[in-house]
Amino acid sequence: MEFLNFVLILIAGYLVFQKPEKERLAFRLLVLSVLLMVGLFSMATRTGLLPGVNY
Amino acid sequence: MTRNAIYSILTLAVLLLSIVPVGTAVFLLGFVAGDSPCVMCWEQRTGMVLVALTGLFVLRYGPRPKYLGLSVLLGAWGIFMGIRHTGMHAARDVGQGFSLEILGAHTYTWALFIFWVCTVTMGVLLMMLKEGETLARPRTLRAIERLAFVVFLVVVAGNIVQAFASTGPPPYMGQSDPVRFSFSSKNWVWSLEEWSPAPVSLRGRWAIEKPGVSNLSADPAAGPLASLPELPIREQRTLTLPLRGSITDLAYEQVTNRFLVTTQSGVYITDGSLGRIAKYTVVDPGYSIDLGQFAGATFLERKIVMAVGENKSYVVLRENDKADADKNFRFFLDSFDKFDEVSRSRLGTVRARMMYTMSLAFDPATKSIYTVTVPNARVKRLVVSRFDRRDLTLSEEFMPALGEESGLRLAGDKRSLDEYYVTGATIDGGRLYAISAAFSTLLTIDLVTHTVVAAHAIPGLSRPVGLTIKGDDLYIVGDSGVLAVVARPDASAHPATTAAAPGTGK
Repeated sequence: MEFLNFVLILIAGYLVFQKPEKERLAFRLLVLSVLLMVGLFSMATRTGLLPGVNY
Repeated sequence: MTRNAIYSILTLAVLLLSIVPVGTAVFLLGFVAGDSPCVMCWEQRTGMVLVALTGLFVLRYGPRPKYLGLSVLLGAWGIFMGIRHTGMHAARDVGQGFSLEILGAHTYTWALFIFWVCTVTMGVLLMMLKEGETLARPRTLRAIERLAFVVFLVVVAGNIVQAFASTGPPPYMGQSDPVRFSFSSKNWVWSLEEWSPAPVSLRGRWAIEKPGVSNLSADPAAGPLASLPELPIREQRTLTLPLRGSITDLAYEQVTNRFLVTTQSGVYITDGSLGRIAKYTVVDPGYSIDLGQFAGATFLERKIVMAVGENKSYVVLRENDKADADKNFRFFLDSFDKFDEVSRSRLGTVRARMMYTMSLAFDPATKSIYTVTVPNARVKRLVVSRFDRRDLTLSEEFMPALGEESGLRLAGDKRSLDEYYVTGATIDGGRLYAISAAFSTLLTIDLVTHTVVAAHAIPGLSRPVGLTIKGDDLYIVGDSGVLAVVARPDASAHPATTAAAPGTGK
């Protein structure tokens, strides 16, 4: 899934660099990538969502 | 500051972020050193790349609010990820950690720092913006800005290569314990371990229930030890002391013929019949160190008493009938002029970590303080911890085993001494007597051999929370104030130690 996420980021970065008129698509890819990152991190830490320190 | 100067700072920030943490991680640590990120490291690295990408959006389209807002959100989320990851290893010993160390700090701690720097940088840049800075059309990039784009895309391309080798195509994803990076496909390990079912929890292993005796089985026959001899209750009565709260422990001082009784926050010294309170105080459990609720108490040296909370935080008090009430306002909630606070701190444990305690005992012969754990839903271990009286630091811990010559045996293959729920303890003659509220059982533990040398069922006990020795008797008190007196099971074996006890033990 990390591979997919970096591909999305590469496409978004390329669009902003070479196809700036595709701003809306690039931003959607950016948001999708952010959500994917948050989702993957939350999934990986679901057995203890909060930082594992003494509460 | 001119607009171009702000864009130049932003460009440098993007370059720095792309090259130093992310570029170094993928090209040097990954491709050269063979380091492979764990699943959390991957997301933290992705977060840094996304912060850099939002910077590129601003370089191209100007400071639109949605880009600035998203960059702040990414910085905040990155700090959270950094704390979550660092927290897993924060309490380890010096130098210990997970994977690589850079400049004396492991990589995940650097992630926390980097996201913090990113967030601060974004705040500073936001403050530099002037009203009406948003642009109607994309900017034409300067050379250094184009360089930032190229560097960013190269770094992302490198990550694509490493992510494909280390984590694989979807649905494969990062792993908790990744194998080292390799360009050879025969060494690639793609895993779906993170997709396997697992319980969802907020605090994870730190979500441990507070101890209590209300839901424990009192039936000795249901306990882990089979066919125990019984100790009959010789005398039983309800204490009528005017206490603030319910009783949590009991101790006895032979020299002065006095008892020490604790409630949730109260410390009471009574006469030798437990009929009258001689002096008391109520400790403020929330002043400075959180004491929780007192779960154990003992006499130490002359006129010195100690009470420990269930969380192994403690307070040491000195009796003083001329105590300065005004000075003691900060320490106590009531009766300010009978005690002085000597110290308040925490008992640190290793084997007993992540478990609460409900007992405290003092051995005057070895100047040692003992606690015994109570099991919880996550950690079930019977651990005896010894602390040196001089510095109240952990000196020894052990998990008692059944003594070979005790004649004791477990009731089944899956039964364990860890099932006992020790709520009161006392020491005499090198033996620790521990009363378990679960299964109403008295354990006798040899402190030299670390073995349970005897165990007795005491039918009829009502939620015991405290235990002490007076003469040849064991005094066991329940949380409802019911006092049960039983004969010491091995009193005849230790007549000398009982008589010669210096009188300061519990």
